[in-house]
Amino acid sequence: MTPEREMVQAEVVVIGAGPAGLSAALAAARAGARVTLIDNNHQPGGQYFRQPAVELRVRKLAGHQRVGQALTQRVTAAGVRLLTETTVWGAFEDKVLALYGPEAPEFIRAQAIVLARGAYERPAAFPGWTLPGVMMSGAAQILLKSQRILPGQRVVLAGTGPLQLVVAAGLVQAGAQVVAVLDGSPLLRRILFRPLHNGLALWGQWSRLAEGLSSWWTLRRAGVPFRTGWGVLAAHGQDQLTGVTIAQLDDQWRPRPDTATMLACDTLCCGYGFIPATHLSRLLGVRHEWQPRRGGWVPLRDRHLQTNVPGVFAAGDCAGIGGAELAVIEGELAGRAAAAQVQGNGLNPSHEDAANGELERLRRAMRREQRFQQLYSELFTPGPGLDDLARPETIVCRCEGVTRAQVSQAVQSGADTLAMVKGIARCGMGNCQGRICGPLVATLVAQETGRDWAQVGQFSVRPPIFPIPVAALAPRAEHPSN
Amino acid sequence: MADVRTLEAPVVIIGGGIVGCAAAYYLACRGVRAVLLERSVIAAEASGRNGGGVRAQCRDRRERRLAMASIKLWEGLQAELGADVEYVQAGNIRLAATEERMAQLVSEAEEELADGLQVEVWDRQQLRRRAPYLSGAFVGAKYCATDGIANPILATWAFAQAARRNGATLLTHTQAVEVQVERGQVAGVRARGPQGELKIETPFLIHAAGPWTPELALGLGIHIPVEPARSVVVVTQPMPLIFKEFVSSHDFGIYARPARKGHIHIGGVTIKTGSFDKEVTLEAMTHMARSVLMVPALQKANFLRAWAGTLAMTPDRVPVIGPVDGIRGYLLASGFSGHGFCLGPIVGKLLSELVLEGEPSLSLDDLRLARFADTPTQP
Repeated sequence: MTPEREMVQAEVVVIGAGPAGLSAALAAARAGARVTLIDNNHQPGGQYFRQPAVELRVRKLAGHQRVGQALTQRVTAAGVRLLTETTVWGAFEDKVLALYGPEAPEFIRAQAIVLARGAYERPAAFPGWTLPGVMMSGAAQILLKSQRILPGQRVVLAGTGPLQLVVAAGLVQAGAQVVAVLDGSPLLRRILFRPLHNGLALWGQWSRLAEGLSSWWTLRRAGVPFRTGWGVLAAHGQDQLTGVTIAQLDDQWRPRPDTATMLACDTLCCGYGFIPATHLSRLLGVRHEWQPRRGGWVPLRDRHLQTNVPGVFAAGDCAGIGGAELAVIEGELAGRAAAAQVQGNGLNPSHEDAANGELERLRRAMRREQRFQQLYSELFTPGPGLDDLARPETIVCRCEGVTRAQVSQAVQSGADTLAMVKGIARCGMGNCQGRICGPLVATLVAQETGRDWAQVGQFSVRPPIFPIPVAALAPRAEHPSN
Repeated sequence: MADVRTLEAPVVIIGGGIVGCAAAYYLACRGVRAVLLERSVIAAEASGRNGGGVRAQCRDRRERRLAMASIKLWEGLQAELGADVEYVQAGNIRLAATEERMAQLVSEAEEELADGLQVEVWDRQQLRRRAPYLSGAFVGAKYCATDGIANPILATWAFAQAARRNGATLLTHTQAVEVQVERGQVAGVRARGPQGELKIETPFLIHAAGPWTPELALGLGIHIPVEPARSVVVVTQPMPLIFKEFVSSHDFGIYARPARKGHIHIGGVTIKTGSFDKEVTLEAMTHMARSVLMVPALQKANFLRAWAGTLAMTPDRVPVIGPVDGIRGYLLASGFSGHGFCLGPIVGKLLSELVLEGEPSLSLDDLRLARFADTPTQP
């Protein structure tokens, strides 16, 4: 370590200020720990509580935004040090985190870390998916929630899950014409298949059901067609989206060709579910397990939500997709445990006894949410047909412009691991560092080699996990005399 | 007890790096279908993780003639292997920040010119004129126009592909576990692969497994003084082309070179020895950021990604290549000490000649293991 570098000692460092992170920071601070909360956005809240841009001076906040604002106020009132616009670009030995941000120290040595990095959207590579006008629903949501901008005028939504309904309703309310909402899941059939089991999982999810119902009602009143068991096969246009081909899908999400038809639109919002953000947990040496039902690779945790790396906790979607309610509960559990640990109480039973009733309540709530999540993923996980939409010339790695054919060619020439395919075809070497193309390429390599995702593995993770200016690490005192 | 598959091969090669793959290729070109064993994948270690420098200047005299011969091969390699390996003779600049360093470079230049390597010595003014992108921290430099760069993974892969096309068998994810010797002659290799145990009967073994070479050789009673070392390379986001040469400074302990799409690869000249660990440390990254002292325009660059690899170091930082006394049919090629990428093609070729003719077209005598006389090499 060069001496001029700024290294700050910290007790509990929470990374990510969405529902899980805010909740963890609050719980840890209330338990008496000194807490630093880091987020790379301008304002805390994450995607779920995303706030309007300050410059817009919005007076009337939407429901989630109000909840998020109140939670943030409690967090700051509890004395949490909040570092926004700050990227954690590396994690090194001894829980040293490398930061880049306007007010952030360069390095922070944490006694305990709560990872609450959330999730990112599962990509799908179909012909035309890289055209301007095609976006993830989350991006459309950011434009709406944060900037109050419509992504386009005539919008099609495709994918699966109730979030698509919420985004569609938001677009309608903001004045867009939503041409259609397509959900690939054969929804009704699946719900009716096990009514009792599903009913139990839904029991208690009143606010969720209310939000879904209200979105559905908004769409209904606006006359927006909502088709389940349908999906987008291709996007069309020269340098801007002009339309999409849609078709009815079977149980495996394979299109029925005779049903294919065109829809004119200038915007397509895709929402195929989420993938836990695990770059940082992997960099910290946390052990992960392949759990497709929970979004893919997830960190293994004990009942205190601590990973196999002592002092590293994980909460919320980054530890397995579970939604905002579960994230808040997990955040609270992880925040308490992290605080107890830095205070030297360990995670020992006597301390736990003191808070027993409360912890028991939280764990019960967690189980209820997990039950719901199980149902959710059963209903809203895309089938394998989605992976077959890409044609040979379809790009799978956007940063480096690598096509499906190039990946296949690399595999056929003998590259049988993800790392080897990356080395030859360059996919995963670009700015996203494999966050987008990783799942797509892994699927292709698995298909071509006849193995499953777990065997194919992942791109290796090394710092920097986000691009950082060389100047941030360069010696400052010396000035080259050139 | 599972079945042991038994094969026969004229030559077994251990190690799927550039040396092993090149040897397999040159053997295959002459009709000898070797079996190559690689415990991981092709180019998994140093061959795929180096800075991509292909240079003859600033080398130990024993290596220089090999490097010069190798560059002759590199010049025709893309056509010969039918693959784009991003090879360009973009030039190599070795910088001097002190007068002492400059004096070293000047005397090295005399030796190089005597050996037929065309190099130029630049003083401060010439350096400024020829490489205006460099900082003013240097008193001069030595330049070699025929030195260049290539893409390490693609080059190693191209050799592997060409070897396969010509009849070599490349078994990846297959680890050699024992070398069998009968009456002072190599008899076979036992290996473990995805399909279980494997025994390959062979009279020739080319052992080119980098820092993992000594472990297996120890079973033959051969002590190879090669130890692992970690090297790190950090890559910037693509930026407008401001230089094309491979530039390095031993005073700063750093090299930098552009790749085809405008990324700059930055690596360390000094490396941590004794470690198989491939972690990219904070120290390494901070060290690479010192490249701004060499190329100030890097102040505006962004680090995009990094990797670490394991090199095989010898005490004199020159490889061990050739037969080993006491075991007929055993050919060693290890300890390249970070210089193996450029040397790979020629060493592969010379190893193929050792198998076929018993004598290489370039002498390897001064690179033999026997030079480490004080270390016991007899079984």
